[in-house]
Amino acid sequence: MTDHGVIASLLALTSGVVLLGAALALWRRVARGIVNALRVQGLALGATAALLGLQLHNPLLIVTAALLVTVKGYVIPKLFARLIHLDPSSSETEPVINVPASLVASVFLTMVAFVATRPIVDSARSFPVSLVPFGFAAVLIGCFVLVARRKAVSQMVGLLLVDNGIGLVALLLTTGVPMLIELGGTLDVLLVVVVLRVLVTRMHAELGVLDLDALQELHD
Amino acid sequence: MNGAEVSLASVAAVMAQVVLCVFGAPLLVGLMRTVRCRLEGRVGPPVVQTWRDVRKLLQKQRTQPERSSIFFTSAPVVLVATTLAIIVFIPMITTRTIFSGGSDLFAIVFLLLAGSMSLALAALDTGTAFGGMGSSRLMAIIALAEPALLVAILAVAAPLHSSSLSVIVVGSLHHSVWIATPQRLLALGAFVIVVLAESGRLPVDNPATHLELTMIHEALMLEYSGPDLAFVVLGESMRFTVLLALLSNLFFPWGISTSLRAPSLVVAVIALVAKVTLLAVAIAAGEVAVAKLRLFRVPELLAGAFVLSVLAVVSSLVIS
Amino acid sequence: MLSLLIIGLPVAAVLVTLGLGWRPSTPWVGVVADAIVLTIGFAAALHDVGHRAHSTVGGNLRIDSLSAFMVIVIGIVSLLASWGSVRYLRHEVESQHCTSRHAVQYAALMQSFVATMLLAVLAANIGILWVAVEATTITTTFLVGHRRTRGALEASWKYIVLCSLGIALAFLGTVLVYLAAVHAGGHSIHALDWTWLTTHAHALNPAIMRLAIGLLVLGYGTKVGLVPMHSWLPDAHSQSPAPVSALMSGVLLSVAFYALLRFKVIAVLCLGETYPRVLFVTLAIMSLALSSLLLLSQRDLKRALAYSSTEHMGLLALGAAAGGPLAISGVLLHILGHGLAKGVLFLSSGEIALADGTSDVNEAGGLLARRPALGGAVAVGLAALLGFPPFSLFLSELTMMRGEVANHMAWAVGLSLVALAIAFAGIATIGRRLLLAGPRGQATGLRTPWSAMAPLVLGLSLCALIGTLTWPLVPLLHAAAKLVTS
Repeated sequence: MTDHGVIASLLALTSGVVLLGAALALWRRVARGIVNALRVQGLALGATAALLGLQLHNPLLIVTAALLVTVKGYVIPKLFARLIHLDPSSSETEPVINVPASLVASVFLTMVAFVATRPIVDSARSFPVSLVPFGFAAVLIGCFVLVARRKAVSQMVGLLLVDNGIGLVALLLTTGVPMLIELGGTLDVLLVVVVLRVLVTRMHAELGVLDLDALQELHD
Repeated sequence: MNGAEVSLASVAAVMAQVVLCVFGAPLLVGLMRTVRCRLEGRVGPPVVQTWRDVRKLLQKQRTQPERSSIFFTSAPVVLVATTLAIIVFIPMITTRTIFSGGSDLFAIVFLLLAGSMSLALAALDTGTAFGGMGSSRLMAIIALAEPALLVAILAVAAPLHSSSLSVIVVGSLHHSVWIATPQRLLALGAFVIVVLAESGRLPVDNPATHLELTMIHEALMLEYSGPDLAFVVLGESMRFTVLLALLSNLFFPWGISTSLRAPSLVVAVIALVAKVTLLAVAIAAGEVAVAKLRLFRVPELLAGAFVLSVLAVVSSLVIS
Repeated sequence: MLSLLIIGLPVAAVLVTLGLGWRPSTPWVGVVADAIVLTIGFAAALHDVGHRAHSTVGGNLRIDSLSAFMVIVIGIVSLLASWGSVRYLRHEVESQHCTSRHAVQYAALMQSFVATMLLAVLAANIGILWVAVEATTITTTFLVGHRRTRGALEASWKYIVLCSLGIALAFLGTVLVYLAAVHAGGHSIHALDWTWLTTHAHALNPAIMRLAIGLLVLGYGTKVGLVPMHSWLPDAHSQSPAPVSALMSGVLLSVAFYALLRFKVIAVLCLGETYPRVLFVTLAIMSLALSSLLLLSQRDLKRALAYSSTEHMGLLALGAAAGGPLAISGVLLHILGHGLAKGVLFLSSGEIALADGTSDVNEAGGLLARRPALGGAVAVGLAALLGFPPFSLFLSELTMMRGEVANHMAWAVGLSLVALAIAFAGIATIGRRLLLAGPRGQATGLRTPWSAMAPLVLGLSLCALIGTLTWPLVPLLHAAAKLVTS
């Protein structure tokens, strides 16, 4: 650890926080708490990009960092805050899978991520790549949130957790995929959030609550 | 750092640890009560009040529920004895105690568990409703808290490839140029939660209440009286102090002595007292601000601690 | 230039639509644009079958035989769907189910949807492909929810959440492919190029590629609607307006499948035949089993058609798993035939919904007697879907099975036949209830307007034509299949 220098240990810290943010989102029931976990994660992601930029002397990454911090640390949480305001009852009172069980599941998922990324870590052996399991674990926990939570807000958060995890993996592995794809990706995420936001507004108009359990007409 | 170094200095160091803990623990609990009272704008009892209580209880007659067995009578002694054993084993002021070879983290966690188990069994043994309730609640908490504790220490231990607390403390003293690595932060978070749960502090249990719906630790000692109660009170406060000492030495090892020379031992005693007092005051101040969790939410908190500790272990594997 | 022109047409149609606002002629803009796309696709295919690929926009777009074939598929089905939309939109606006603003929105989204699909098949690198497929999700969400009912809301929520998740996993896979490519000496955007990846596949790190291919198959497989990532599909298909369902089922699924086909070549070259085959076969078996069994219990025509789509995607996956030029040309022909038949059937379900206000087969029963023309189209369409000659699905299923036998997957033929038999039972039941049984004493012999019948007849006759004279397609299919066989 010590020979990698301060930036390396800070990188380890910020990547760890991305994973911690995912676990926090699973831990908290209150909608506001979940969104705060998302904000923490977004900021940590931005910090990771900035640190990588400093380490590699890559100004593009600093720009990416600024973008990430604004979008994921500010714009998206703000959007969520309004949604929660729309339906104050959007806290998760009765998750499909209870909190202790889902936390234990997240432990399991983290281990799966750790095992699954072995080949990647082994193939590269450079420092930031060894942090990739954090990102993978965040992705898996995000998927779990999508399955285990039935409130519209929680599901949106789950999707964004997945996205942040993937963002971390992309940053660490390739220090950013080519800029074109990166931009396309960020734009798409924003659009998806906006689309979901529109759907939530419709849901609120139609049902009065933001609970997906109220929408169970279609099934076989 | 092998275990068999019996010298006058090492015996003196261990004696110092024991004396500090036994006499300091009730004072520490008293101090926390005072801090809370002051922050809430009350005067509160003096710091030595716990000692006065213990002294008074020791002079009283002991009563025992009908048909209770040796589990009930032995529990206070077992509690104090296991805690004393932990004090002797773990590095508190020096990493070179007589038994530093035996300061294995698994042994320590087992001793902690043995103390809790004896109390829980004793509470069941009384056959009262509150006793059974308290012991079932305690079991529910311990089932999640002990693994979390074990795994949290493991996270700090993993990079050093040793389960000896002495080695771990020395290791973190030498290697942690950068204290805020993710695994240490995560493990610290888990450890703090476990300490609060184990010692029955807020937000898991309120030490100042006898409200039957929520109490855990108070329910366990409801049937004790006289010298038995004195031992239980003393034992619980010692446990709390030991856990705080362990916390401070694992995560903030500054000041602990790695030799047996007198000046460094003195420094270590002062550092230990300062660290533990600071932690206790911080916890007391924190308790003013938080409310007790509803009982069914407690497992969530402890599962969270468990997750934190596992994440810490994974992080230490990833980063090392 | 050609690829830019092809994508430019629907984009231009979007702009014109938005510029025109709502007029009775507005929906025709899309029809015209799609017809031109189809023509250009044909011209491109005929002009340089198997010769060389044309790249444009800094090598980010490329048209080769496979892309040209996919452009033709997209062109035909979107032509049918836009044609069907003309009546749908008029009806919606006249009956005041939707405002004229929403009608314009629908027409514009429909063409942007077509544009994103064209971009996906013309993309020269897997990054652009990813962006395009993600964009299809975004454009279609509002189309799925266009009817603004509670069911449509639920369907569009499920659709966007699941598909975004799938596509996010595909992004992760793309990143890993990029990592492997960079290790193998590629740099910047060219490391993501299809041809670069195919030629350098042997040099890619197999351990990373194994993970990457798994994620990509899972991700794009979600979009294909393969079990177990299929649960959005029946809901989205049954709740969308009929032309949207036609377009989604007919081509969107196939466009995602096209991506799988391309990735499979890289996987085979890098990891050998077994790993991708196991992946494809597993998904195929699950899809075939679940969809054919669920088909038996369907009462809603559109839901049944949706499950039939999953079943056909399972057949495609089985054919792709076999690999080899024969099976792959069967797969490609099946994509086209399925697109046509499914497109026609969804459009007719839209007509039924317009006339009877329901797509429940029991409530809309006796269709053949009540509306002979429409009922006849449905009957012929169902026959085409079930793989009766002379329709092209017969030919393509036969070709796929021959390919499977040739590639030592004879058991797959047995499996497909069992699934087809179960699906046959399911669809035949639905057909019998819808066409023959049903409420008595209603008016019979009602005419269906020509404007409604024209796209149906066009689609069915094309399907039959391709099934009998495969002439213009054979060389194209061979050239395209050669691109995705190692």
